[in-house]
Amino acid sequence: MTKSIEAMWKEGFVNEAKLTAPEINDLYNRESENMVDKLLKMFDLNIKAIIWGCVIMLVMMSLIGAPFLGLYICCLISPLIIISKKELKKTVNLSKGQSSYDYLVSFNNWLQSSIDTYSGYYKIFYPLFFLGMAVQAIVSKAGGKVIALLVEKIPTDIILFGLPYYLIVTIAIATLLFARYAEAIYHWDLNIIYGRQFKKLDELIADMEELRK
Amino acid sequence: MGSDFYQLYILPYAGIIIKICRAYTNSQEDFEDYYQEVCLQVWRSKDNFNQESEWSTWIYRISLNVCLTYLKRRKSGDKEIVSDTLPEEAIDDSKAFASDEINELYNAIKHLSETDRAIILLYLEEKTYEEIAEIIGSNTNNIGVRIKRIKDRLNKIIKRED
Repeated sequence: MTKSIEAMWKEGFVNEAKLTAPEINDLYNRESENMVDKLLKMFDLNIKAIIWGCVIMLVMMSLIGAPFLGLYICCLISPLIIISKKELKKTVNLSKGQSSYDYLVSFNNWLQSSIDTYSGYYKIFYPLFFLGMAVQAIVSKAGGKVIALLVEKIPTDIILFGLPYYLIVTIAIATLLFARYAEAIYHWDLNIIYGRQFKKLDELIADMEELRK
Repeated sequence: MGSDFYQLYILPYAGIIIKICRAYTNSQEDFEDYYQEVCLQVWRSKDNFNQESEWSTWIYRISLNVCLTYLKRRKSGDKEIVSDTLPEEAIDDSKAFASDEINELYNAIKHLSETDRAIILLYLEEKTYEEIAEIIGSNTNNIGVRIKRIKDRLNKIIKRED
């Protein structure tokens, strides 16, 4: 080999115009399917994580002497598992035979409707979850000591269910706040887990919409 | 991607994209994926082109960025092991090349690190040291020394494989 690499390069491309560019085809189709598949896998994994989380929670709560709270949380979470499975089943109706734009839009519509369904669930879950934790705290030994100390510091004659009224009022307000902001908490949580993927989905749909103009 | 945009702003520069993507891929499928991704990125980032440099320089920069990002992503995902030898399903664009020498050169280039590949490709495309430094985001002073070293290594690889 005596030729310089510069000469090899120059002579190698005798006719640059002959370099055949691959056709731009099917790119969006593949990107759409990949993205939807990835998100569906993540959702599926999420359901499995919730089921395992439920079991672990039950065991851990039993170990720390709060089996009823563990059971209560499991009961609260079980509708979520049923809802998630039902929602995932609906994706079967999304036909890959449509155009990639239609496919992505129908997936996005399904996603938005699922998010609405979950939001409804979380409006009940978060306040009840908080209430369960609060009740467990009250009936626990440590909780009893704290309440006794509280009554000593802020004495009151108004006692409801054996508790000072202001404690009940505080718990009630906190529960209402959880109900009020449940949707926001859920969206925040959703954004942490799926934010990047959702952004990509929006960008892809926006790209495709621009193309269709 | 608008067909007009592709015809006017990408197709005339397809040679640049092909030459670069070829240096970073080992199969026809990967080559097409990289090529399409570069085209898509060129289209997406068209509004960021500030006309301070030439459009071809912009294409070089995006092509290299896409190839390096893709390679990094694939390596971290273990989807592809970048090997030094071409697999059976090698890129068949021989009709555009005058001889096997260019294939030999490409094989040698694939033995280099990702950044060295970028530098030598730009050098072979007769970009100035300043342009190379600008595209890869390096210091102009280092470029000359680095090119000399890369060329020596390439010559050694080619001789060894002869």
